Amino acid sequence: MNLPHVGAVFRKELRETLRDRRTLTVMFLFPLVVYPLVSLLMAEVMAGKQATDEARTSHIALVDPDPASRATLAALLDKKGTGIEVTRDVSLAHATGQDVSNGLIDAVVEVAPDKAKAAGPLPVRIIYDETRPVSDQAHDRVTKTLSGVLPTGCFQSYAVTGASLATKTKVGGYVLSKILPLIVVIMTMLGAFYPAIDITAGERERGTLETLLSSPVQRFDLMTGKVLAVAALSLLTGVLNIVSMSLTVAEGARLAAGSPILAIPWPRAAATLLIVVPAAFLFGSVMVAIGAMARSFKEAQTLLMPVYLLCFTPSLVAGMADFRLTGLTMLVPGTNLTLLARDLMLGDAHLLPAVIVLASTIGFGAVALAFAARLYDSERLLASTDADLVSLSAWLRHLVSRPAAPGALEMAGAQPVPPSAGQAVSLFGVAFVLWFFAFTWLQRWSLIPGLMLSQWGGFLGLVWIYARLCHRSLGDVLVFRRPPAAALGGAALVGLSGWIILGVLADKVMPPPREVVENIRNLIHPPGESRSLALSVFALAVTPAVCEEALFRGAILQGLRRQFSVPVSCLLTGILFGVMHGDVWRFVPTTILGVLLSWVALTSGSIIPSMLVHVLNNGVLIVLGYYGLDQAGDKLSGRTTILIMGVAVIFMLGGLAAVRRAGRDTGRQTAG
Amino acid sequence: MPDPSAVTVERLKKRFGQRTAVDGLSFSVAAGEIYGLLGPNGAGKTTTLRVLAGLLRPTEGVARIDGVDVGADPRQAQRHLGFLTGTTGLYGRLTAREVLVYFGTLQDMPRPRIAARIDQLTDALDLRAILDRRCEALSSGQKQRISVARAVIHDPPVLILDEPTVGLDVLASRFLREYIGAERARGKAVIFSTHYLAEAELLCDRIGLLYQGALLAEGHPRDLRVQAGDATSLEEAFLRLVTNLVAA
Repeated sequence: MNLPHVGAVFRKELRETLRDRRTLTVMFLFPLVVYPLVSLLMAEVMAGKQATDEARTSHIALVDPDPASRATLAALLDKKGTGIEVTRDVSLAHATGQDVSNGLIDAVVEVAPDKAKAAGPLPVRIIYDETRPVSDQAHDRVTKTLSGVLPTGCFQSYAVTGASLATKTKVGGYVLSKILPLIVVIMTMLGAFYPAIDITAGERERGTLETLLSSPVQRFDLMTGKVLAVAALSLLTGVLNIVSMSLTVAEGARLAAGSPILAIPWPRAAATLLIVVPAAFLFGSVMVAIGAMARSFKEAQTLLMPVYLLCFTPSLVAGMADFRLTGLTMLVPGTNLTLLARDLMLGDAHLLPAVIVLASTIGFGAVALAFAARLYDSERLLASTDADLVSLSAWLRHLVSRPAAPGALEMAGAQPVPPSAGQAVSLFGVAFVLWFFAFTWLQRWSLIPGLMLSQWGGFLGLVWIYARLCHRSLGDVLVFRRPPAAALGGAALVGLSGWIILGVLADKVMPPPREVVENIRNLIHPPGESRSLALSVFALAVTPAVCEEALFRGAILQGLRRQFSVPVSCLLTGILFGVMHGDVWRFVPTTILGVLLSWVALTSGSIIPSMLVHVLNNGVLIVLGYYGLDQAGDKLSGRTTILIMGVAVIFMLGGLAAVRRAGRDTGRQTAG
Repeated sequence: MPDPSAVTVERLKKRFGQRTAVDGLSFSVAAGEIYGLLGPNGAGKTTTLRVLAGLLRPTEGVARIDGVDVGADPRQAQRHLGFLTGTTGLYGRLTAREVLVYFGTLQDMPRPRIAARIDQLTDALDLRAILDRRCEALSSGQKQRISVARAVIHDPPVLILDEPTVGLDVLASRFLREYIGAERARGKAVIFSTHYLAEAELLCDRIGLLYQGALLAEGHPRDLRVQAGDATSLEEAFLRLVTNLVAA
């Protein structure tokens, strides 16, 4: 073996691959940032769902002709901690299986009429519907409660049996609803995967794209044709999967039990086909749009695989965890289709959610199609080069080597390196990895010291290193300038009003589970711990206001602003800010806060006003929490809430106007 | 008075970011004329042809194909031109006939007209033996003939050919040159870019020498040699003109 040859080939291949910005992104950004983030979000969602399920009370009807026995049993079941409530509703006192099937009651607990004659344990029958999760939960709770009446080894007081009302067809639908929707969504996606790459990146790689684009065909028509072709193949895959999976489940159950224990609800299975059409269109459009950005087949695969996984994960969680198709869930692409397919299979689908899911799916597909058409109308498709690759790669090399090292940062020499979007994203990636793998662990170990270390040493330290590597002063990176007094006044108004508006918004849009709210309260004011108000304010308000602002409104925002407009820079920074907080329930309000803070920083031309907004926003909440006033809002009347909200909106608008005017007067607007 | 030129380029500029690929280029091509665009790599030949083909938008200036402003209405202009790119640009899994039908349909040609035109091109370009074979199975010369047929399926008045003889053997190159000559005889305006100066000298009525995005000289090959101080070949003329420009 000629080792120098091996080494030469190895170095060349590695160099070439690492110069591909998109490969780098997928190699590093996804495993280190996106996957931890997705797992974090999914864990939060699952935990929230589990908490909600556990908090839900099972409503049961008790049927026992013997009043004394009924009273004993009711007291036993109604006991605190069982999660069961025996209905006192007279009309349901003798509920039947029909009421269980209709969802009026979760289960009926029936005591045999001839109990007096029976020796031994009292026979109790639970009538429930195993295909309804809440009914199944009620069955489990009753069984557990009655089985645990006496200590282990003692004679059981109750002999509990279950009787499910579900027919074979319903059970068949239930079993299929657990696997089919997810399989259909995944396979429909997979059906679109390779055709989308072949007709976009493949066309570009084979050199037929230029020929095609020289034809007088409108780009939207061109893309529509391509998307429909991909969607048709994807549709075929989806349909074949529904048919094959249904037959497989039916045959599998027959073989396992020796006789049919379930029946396939063919009309419902056919109804599930309803989701395949929009799903195929959506996935076809998205994959064609992304494939159109790639310059080669390999690059398209690299780009599409994470998209595939990102669509797959929420669908998997939604399918397994029995989420309901309500609220924002109806608008989450992929997940909403999985849930609708499940409901169709169970016969639980309702018209309005179905229409919203189908319309939003087609809408998202149309947006992706329009994007792809726009991309094909752009001459960048033919003239695309990684124009800023040089600067990014130089910067990355610079990041890992000494500035004076030979060959490092040839393009810039020892001159200050201007900020760029690539740097901003890379910096966020590094910060996120540190946060996920180190800072959260530090904070779990000990909150206040961990927070101090991760914020001052982590976030601010990272910005300092970044400034050093770019040969820029920390003040320059942060845009740490003395702001006009009006900007500070405006920022104060924004900070004092923001928390109210964002709090109300969070409650309306995506109300967090009680446990999440409690966790935040415990963070601010830990029970049984005598932390001073000053320390809480410093650790939870001043520290993030300085360190998070330095990272987000300093390095990241200024980098993004070099490439994007003010609104896009603010939006992207806001999203990254929301993501870094790693809490699905707080994502929307934190993102909006991040956008606001970014706008304030850019418009005023200084980071100080955004720091002020941040410190006031957090500080007010901490002070209220410290004095136990944070729950006072729950007791306010509707009119008072509206009044407070109105005043907050006026403060906010006034504050924003003051910041804007101050920025205009000093001519610092859209700094960066 | 209407412009009699089939192709008109006026003060055309094309920039990519800070880089200027075409810098104030002006020329025109009449019907029944072959105009050669010559120049070293990076001179702006392909960019100019892509602007004319409606693939790139001019940064400044105007380009007209058969009277249609390409920048303003690229789709309409594309109906009046046939563009042969630097690659054959054929779909390997389709037969030659399927490729021709596809591009004919994109040109809004009715099926009978496409069929009739394929028959014409089969004779003109000797396609009979390869028409129903998959493109991936064809030789380079055969692919280029199909590619030419694809570009002229709608019988456009203007042909834009970007280095059409690259990679072809002597016979295939000669066949293609003869076909281009025949198209000139049918009144087509042809813009032809090539690296082979001898080929341009043989074929072109006029030549534009491009250097760094601008027109260095223009005229009949014979006139260009005279202009360069009685150069013995077009290649020598080109080198002298570039040297003079750099020295100035």
